Parts: sequence; structure tokens; C-alpha cells
Amino acid sequence: MSKTLAPKPIDQVVKLLEQRFGKLPVAINQTATDANIDCPPEHFRAVVEELKNHRDLAFDFLRNIVGIDMLEEGLACKYQFFSYKNRQAVQVTVLTPPGNPHIPSITDLYPAANWHEREAAEMVGLIFDGHPNLKNLLLDEDVRIHPLLKAHPLQKAEILQGIEDTTPGFTF
Amino acid sequence: MTGIIKSEPFVINIGPQHPSTHGVFRIKATVDGEKVIDAEMVMGYLHRSMEKLAEERTYTQNIPFTDRTDYLSSMSNNLGYCLAVEKLAGIEVPPRGNAIRVIMAELQRLASHCMAIGAFANDTGAWQTPVMWAFREREKILDIFEVTSGARLTCNYMRIGGVAFDLRPEFEPMVRRVLREFPPFIDEMEGLLSGNEIFIARTRGVGVLTPEMATNASLSGPMLRGSGIAWDIRKADPYCGYEQYDFDIPIGYNGDSYDRFIVRLEEMRQSLKIIQQALDGLPGGPFRTEVPLALRPPKGEAYARIESPRGELGYYLVSDEGPSPYRFHIRPPSFINLSALKEMTVGGTVADAIVVLGSIDIVVGEIDR
Repeated sequence: MSKTLAPKPIDQVVKLLEQRFGKLPVAINQTATDANIDCPPEHFRAVVEELKNHRDLAFDFLRNIVGIDMLEEGLACKYQFFSYKNRQAVQVTVLTPPGNPHIPSITDLYPAANWHEREAAEMVGLIFDGHPNLKNLLLDEDVRIHPLLKAHPLQKAEILQGIEDTTPGFTF
Repeated sequence: MTGIIKSEPFVINIGPQHPSTHGVFRIKATVDGEKVIDAEMVMGYLHRSMEKLAEERTYTQNIPFTDRTDYLSSMSNNLGYCLAVEKLAGIEVPPRGNAIRVIMAELQRLASHCMAIGAFANDTGAWQTPVMWAFREREKILDIFEVTSGARLTCNYMRIGGVAFDLRPEFEPMVRRVLREFPPFIDEMEGLLSGNEIFIARTRGVGVLTPEMATNASLSGPMLRGSGIAWDIRKADPYCGYEQYDFDIPIGYNGDSYDRFIVRLEEMRQSLKIIQQALDGLPGGPFRTEVPLALRPPKGEAYARIESPRGELGYYLVSDEGPSPYRFHIRPPSFINLSALKEMTVGGTVADAIVVLGSIDIVVGEIDR
């Protein structure tokens, strides 16, 4: 029983994706664990709709969304999908140009994307166009810093921001 | 009587300091009389920015952070992280290391489900007795962890390439005792709660999730299986040699809070089955591959997933060949499971919202990271 349940090997998924997305300007390769599609932001919606709705792909489970700071290349967003029906996994990488971190939201296709996108937005500063409620999730509501940017320093001064100016209430 | 008493919407805060929220977590519920008409989750009170801190530490130094995400199942979190690093760096774990990992992960599932069931019974109004019974049994497992790793909750026992220490001679008799004493306890708990009229009245038909709702919200673990989808990563994408062990995937039929409770009870029986098999066939040999202390995995990215007691726990790592990860991301199962709470509570009563929250089995340390 466990044999039929096992996920499809990565090279088979890569072959399948190459057949489906050969015409679009996307690059298909593989990471250490999954097949990967490198996709520009303007074609992202088309790719995800195809991934979700095509019968041979049928990626119905959104696993994870991660925002990554790629320094001078811009901000990247990684989407990981899985298909219950076809037992296959795929990762979609969207690299946004520096200064223009806009990606269309996929909350209408995958309701689970809602909190993932909010987290990616607050942590690295990506902007998901069409998200119903893009406010901070884990950080405080009025905080406007993006702590997972590489430019954001991990320093004591940052942790004590706003506190160091005030005089402590107790003297020992 | 409906229509005679006029009521208007009113906002109440359940939490952040409230015994039913299982940590520092807030539900901003809009209620009309006794009915919840809108709910908003507010979280982040326990945010410790682990993902940022991990970018400045070596791969081995990050293991203790994973203990502190889901503090009720630190072994599972250690395992998920170590698997991700091993996939990234292409490290093989010896068979004994894998068997020890399986035993520890399953013991952790037992301990975590004890807590989940006890706290859930507390939320339904069965005050203190079930939770104390569950704690009595959980204590035996925490003792095993203490003997093996030196700590009860934050074990920090798994290492990249295997586990930190070999098993002690006391380990086997202690696990045999758990195997002997747990089945009567599970039967007792089932007899106490699952046929109890009040418990059934509080949980059956409360917080119903259809299979479509569960997959759309990307739920995993007992939440998904309670809705009738037999999905378990231990079967679907086996790791640590889970394919050698014989066990079943329990599922529910109605997708309500009661089914999630029953699924957890049944999972405990299956875990005992796995531990029995792993302990009987425990291979000899090394328990760890030697890995350099300042590990520098090749450039690339890896996503490793395990079936933690709460669902799909994923660790996503990016390496730039440096001694510390370029990006370290956790996919916490109860964070995603919690996002379905709004759908389950709106339309029900405030008292039911507490029961539904208990049936999700959240750990706030994992949600906020």
C-alpha cells in the first residue's frame, strides 16, 4: 500500500511541467527536494491557475510561502504546492525586481495563502496585490520594519528601540 | 422567545490572558447575544524572531531553537530540522540512528496527544480529572526523555546525522513499561469520555469541517484526518524508515471536534504499535554519522516535512555555502490549522468557540515562533 502512496520522483514532475509550460517564459529546474519553476511576476497568476486546475497537475494543497531577500537581485517569494490526487510536489519561485516588490495575491485560489502572504509581507516587505487584509500578523500592528531583510541589523540597539531614550522607573 | 429580546453586536476579547487560549493568543470575537458573528485572530505576543536569529548561528547551534517552537513536541521539531539539513547536505543517517529517532518521535506523539486530550477535556468542562490522568501517563514519557537526553521538555536530542547520545541501559525497560501501561490508560480515557453524554453533547457537530474546507485551508494532521482524509506523511512520503513499520491511519467521518478527539486517541494506539516494532528490531551499530561541527552545505535549498503530532511540520532552508543558513523558515502545523478557526466558530456560540479552539490543539510558541 505504501508504494502506491509514495510521491512521484522529481524528474518525472520536471518532465510533466516542461510539457505544460514550454510556451511560457519560465525556467524549470530542481532543488534538493522538489521540482522548481522560476517564474516572472507577470506570468505568476497564469502558472498557478494552470497548476491548480489542470487535470494532470491538480496541485490542491498549498504547503508553504516564504519570502527571501536576494539582496541586489530583489525579493524572492517561494510557493510550495502539493497534489493529493497525483502525489507530486512543486515549488514556484517568483523573483521581483528591486524597488518593485509586487506579486498578485493567490488568496482567491488558495484560502490558505492568506496568513502566509501576510507573514511574507511583514517579514521581507513583499506586496501582494489583491490581498483582502494585508496587515501585520506576527509583528505589532503599527511596526513598519521588515526584520528578515538582510539590511536589517541584529543589534542590541534595535531590540531596545524606543526604550533607551526613556529614564527607567526604578533606581537601584 | 426569539425576536422579543433585542440585541446588538458586541466585541469581546477571548485572551490574550485566558486559560482556554492555551497560551498568549487572542480571539477578537464579535457576538450577537450568545452567537459569534465574526472572529479575528490576533497573535504575535510570543514572537521571538527565531528565523532571524537562526541566520547568525551555525546549523548545529540552531537545533535548540527548534525545541522552543513547539515546546510540547521538541523531539519532532528537532527531527524536522535535522532532516532538512541532511537533505541539503546529502548526509545519510545510520539505521540505529533512524530507529532511535522513530521511537523518540512516537513517544513524543504520545506525550503531546496526552496533553491535547487532557486540555481538550478541560475545555469541554470535564474539569481537571482527565487532564491529571493524562499528565500522570505523560510523566512516564518525560522521564524517558530525561534519562536519554537530560531534559524533559526542550530535549535538544537530535543531531545532524543522527542523535546526540546512544541509549542508556535503563531506556528499554522504561519504554516497555510505557508499552504495557498505556493501552489500559487509553481504554480508560475512552471509557471516561467518548461515551459520556455531556462530552458528546459539547463536542459532536461542533466545529464541523468538510473535506473540501479542510483541503482548501491546507490543514494537516488530526484536523485533516478527522474530516475523513487519510493523509499521513509517515505513509505518503516516508522518512527515517517509517515504511518498514506496520500501522494504520485512523480517520473520522463527520469532521467535528469529537472526531478529532477520537482520531487522536486512536493515533496513540498506532504509535504504541510503531514503538513496539522499532524497539523489537532495534539495530546495532553507530547511532550517528560524523558531521563537521561548522557544516557548510552546498549552495541550494531544501524543504523537509514530517508528521508532527499537530500535522505537517516543514523546515525550509536556503544555503549560500556559509556556516549558517541564508534563510531558515518553519512551516508550523498549528499556525495553518488555526487559520480555519474563523470558519468553524462563526455561527456557533461562544462556549462552542472554546471547544473548537481546544480541538485544534494549538501551541502558541509554534504559531508565533
